[in-house]
Amino acid sequence: MNRKALVIGLAITLPIIVLLAVSFGRDPHKVNSPLVGKPAPDFTLPAVGGQGPISLASLRGKPVVVNFWATWCVPCFSEHPVLQNSAASMRDVQFLGVVYDDTEPNIQKFLAQNGSSYPSLMDEGGRIAIAYGVYGVPETFFIDPSGMIVAKHEGPLDYGQIQDYIQKMSQKKVASREGTP
Amino acid sequence: MMTTTRRFAFALALLLCASPSWAQTQTRTKAQIPAASVVGAPQGQPLSGTQLDVRTKEVASLVRCPVCQGLSVYDSPATMAVNMRHEVRDLLSKGYTEEQILTYFEKSYGEFVLLQPTMRGANWIVWLAPLALLALGGFILRGVFRKKAVPVEQDRPVTDRDQLPDDPRLARYVLEARELAYGWPGGVSPDHRA
Repeated sequence: MNRKALVIGLAITLPIIVLLAVSFGRDPHKVNSPLVGKPAPDFTLPAVGGQGPISLASLRGKPVVVNFWATWCVPCFSEHPVLQNSAASMRDVQFLGVVYDDTEPNIQKFLAQNGSSYPSLMDEGGRIAIAYGVYGVPETFFIDPSGMIVAKHEGPLDYGQIQDYIQKMSQKKVASREGTP
Repeated sequence: MMTTTRRFAFALALLLCASPSWAQTQTRTKAQIPAASVVGAPQGQPLSGTQLDVRTKEVASLVRCPVCQGLSVYDSPATMAVNMRHEVRDLLSKGYTEEQILTYFEKSYGEFVLLQPTMRGANWIVWLAPLALLALGGFILRGVFRKKAVPVEQDRPVTDRDQLPDDPRLARYVLEARELAYGWPGGVSPDHRA
């Protein structure tokens, strides 16, 4: 075999084979958030139902779960009871819903029908969604007591996943405590 | 002089203004600027009018719509893109520079959101690879044209009827053709061969 042709052929095909081998195992739609491991962007948003505004900074000191959702989002509908039950059972974790591209009457009607055990906040113009790099709903951010984003989850959550993420936040808390002299 | 009724109405108006619902309305109208905590205070001049329209188009054309296939937030009709376009416009109107705005989106969505990759790190490959490929193509073409320019050695003109071409393969074909045409090997009759 022509040695020169073999070398040129390998030089062209090997990088393609390596690229395909690496890429086939990954979800092409999944883009890692640059915010994970960084401080969560602060926000102050009005709560649905005429309640006063809530700021993320005021919740510092406890783990916070921020869920971006909307009533028109079908996966959010299936996720809602999971989040409601989790919020009811995990009293030491603050759950927040941030409503994306929806109207307050729609939200109020949805919450009246499906229950509401934690505040839902109106994000007019999707400004906070942009600050969090949200691609679509539902997306959920897990913020540790120091205000750092520990994880981001795209798509609907189940109860086991929520527990895993909360545990991850707790472990990080323990690790940071242990690291403190 | 204020009557008692007027005083009562004035006090009631004050009370209503101080109520939580009024405070909430104020909170809603007061625009939050999350970009400020990421890129700091505006470093440019606040824009308005035609200049704002032009710059919005220019800057929004540099930001990729995260939910589309290769479209900028200026070109896409998706809700997410519209929101991002409005954000670009709002930030420009407040005096944020193009660099600050692109940095803000990059910090939220990652470098993926920039339609033009920045000239740093491994991104240099993206910028330099087309030039390198163009140079390689030029080099190959140069080689091809040089090869073609080499004069082809002409065959000796055939003057004699019985003369065979110099190319041995061609000569063999000529002999075979002669044999087919005349019926003798090489087209030469035994009489003539003698």
